[in-house]
Amino acid sequence: MKRPLVILAVFYCLGLILANLMRIKFWLITVIATAIFAVVILWGRKNWIFLTGVLSLALLIGYLSMKNAWVLSNCHIRKFVTYKDSSLYWLNGRIASQPEFKNNHLWFILRVQQIQSDKVRYKCCGEVLIKMNFEQELNYGDNLTLMGNLGRPPSFGRSQGYRDFLARQGIYLIMPIKDHRQIIRQDKFHGVGLIRGCFWLRVYLEQVISRYLPPLPASILAAMVLGQKRNIPWLVNNSMVKSGTVHILVVSGFNVGIVAFVINLLLKILRLGRKARIILTAICLLIYCLITGASNPVIRATVMGLVFLAAYLFKREPDIYNSLTSAALFILVINPRQLFDIGFQLSFISVLAIVYFYPKLKALVHLEDCRSKILKFFAESCLVSFSAWLGTLVIIALNFRIIALVTVLANILIVPLATLITLCGFTLVLSGLIYPNLAHLFSLPTAALITLLLNLNAALIKLPVAFFYL
Amino acid sequence: MLNFTPEERKITLFLLGLALCGLVLNNLVKVNCRIERMVYPPVQLAKLNLNKVNLAELVATKCVSVKLAQRILEYRDLRKEFSSLEELKEVKGIGEQRYGKLKELFFIE
Repeated sequence: MKRPLVILAVFYCLGLILANLMRIKFWLITVIATAIFAVVILWGRKNWIFLTGVLSLALLIGYLSMKNAWVLSNCHIRKFVTYKDSSLYWLNGRIASQPEFKNNHLWFILRVQQIQSDKVRYKCCGEVLIKMNFEQELNYGDNLTLMGNLGRPPSFGRSQGYRDFLARQGIYLIMPIKDHRQIIRQDKFHGVGLIRGCFWLRVYLEQVISRYLPPLPASILAAMVLGQKRNIPWLVNNSMVKSGTVHILVVSGFNVGIVAFVINLLLKILRLGRKARIILTAICLLIYCLITGASNPVIRATVMGLVFLAAYLFKREPDIYNSLTSAALFILVINPRQLFDIGFQLSFISVLAIVYFYPKLKALVHLEDCRSKILKFFAESCLVSFSAWLGTLVIIALNFRIIALVTVLANILIVPLATLITLCGFTLVLSGLIYPNLAHLFSLPTAALITLLLNLNAALIKLPVAFFYL
Repeated sequence: MLNFTPEERKITLFLLGLALCGLVLNNLVKVNCRIERMVYPPVQLAKLNLNKVNLAELVATKCVSVKLAQRILEYRDLRKEFSSLEELKEVKGIGEQRYGKLKELFFIE
């Protein structure tokens, strides 16, 4: 077995899927898993028993972790609120995310510590989504007391997508705040200093970007460099979905790679040793992951980057499949429900498709024989885009009901441009921090490239049969 | 003299190239105001023109129902065109909250 971690992860994921399909009791599966564990301990010397036992255990642990993820603890806030409840509640807790102003509302997650209803106060846990109708300066870690009604998140028509999406994050309730009097701010800060620092840095970097660019290019650059998509206009997002290039608007492995490369280079110039360089680069990658909001693609890229750095540190040959599996397991062990998140699926399947299909397609078209460097580069770009498109085609068609035939062409043209914009974006942000006058100089080419990207995308989706809805 | 590693060379060239492009564009923007329109993305790429939008596009925004979209178009036909986004509030079914969402999606030309 060349890649044991990959096989174990596959069985673990199968267990997660089975848990969603079957209704076998948690304790029955626990008993079976314990029995298998005992068999492996007793007769594990035989190879086939060990192998079957370990794989079955991975499957059953997957099943159990998914079932366990759906069970709420007795003190969870969801258990205090009944369906269609119009009572007034007082919640005491701290802000667990950076508040974001989106669609004329301020949104944040409150980690609840106390709930009060009818003058009775209970200790509780869990998270609630807060939707405020007005803007107020709030930060991660602020301790608040909120008063209002608690309800289930809205579902749009027959679609339960939004409600399910929040449930996968462990959020079952939403509290609308319409008046300033519904919110009381406490003095104490209850958060992790490092996370607060990262959020502050993100806000500061967003301000740096908006200082040098008009709102539209600034929103696109903030998405590409900092992973902040909230200011992207609907039309831009929609046209990128149609052309199949919306993935450039999220922070991905490429951005993490740039950060690692720049940090490593700076440390190299400072004449730091190899080990110190690798450790400091790893720390910077973790900070970048927190700044960008630790979404699934960023966590995937960060874990993969850390695995690669560890391989260099211990002078081992890094394996892309193992690092990808480590990243998937890292996310799924923390929250198994993420397996059914479309962002998670697209992020991993696109990378897997590129890693798997690209070398095969390359060998199929005998690309090694091509002598022209430009032609070879162009053909390689085509094959990478085609591989990713092939891998994600079914998921996109099933979830978004759209098939974009222009995707391969769009990616060939737009991805190199997006790469250049990301590089310019990082340069702009860094120069904005160090030497603002130079940032003014860098802002014009960045804006021009973003304009070119938007125009190109708009032109591509106007092509005949560029995309069609199912 | 310049004892750069290959990576350092690439970065230096990238920064110099970017600075050169910035200088040229800066100069062009100062000399010709048309260039500025080419450098910065036009509003048409981010928002829909309310005076040209059709029923399908309105419904696709998912901010209005089919009925409300029809009412907006009827209002536009009646007045020939919208002169400001504020006029949207005069359409039955559009309150402050919905107007707040719609003004982010449309522009008037």
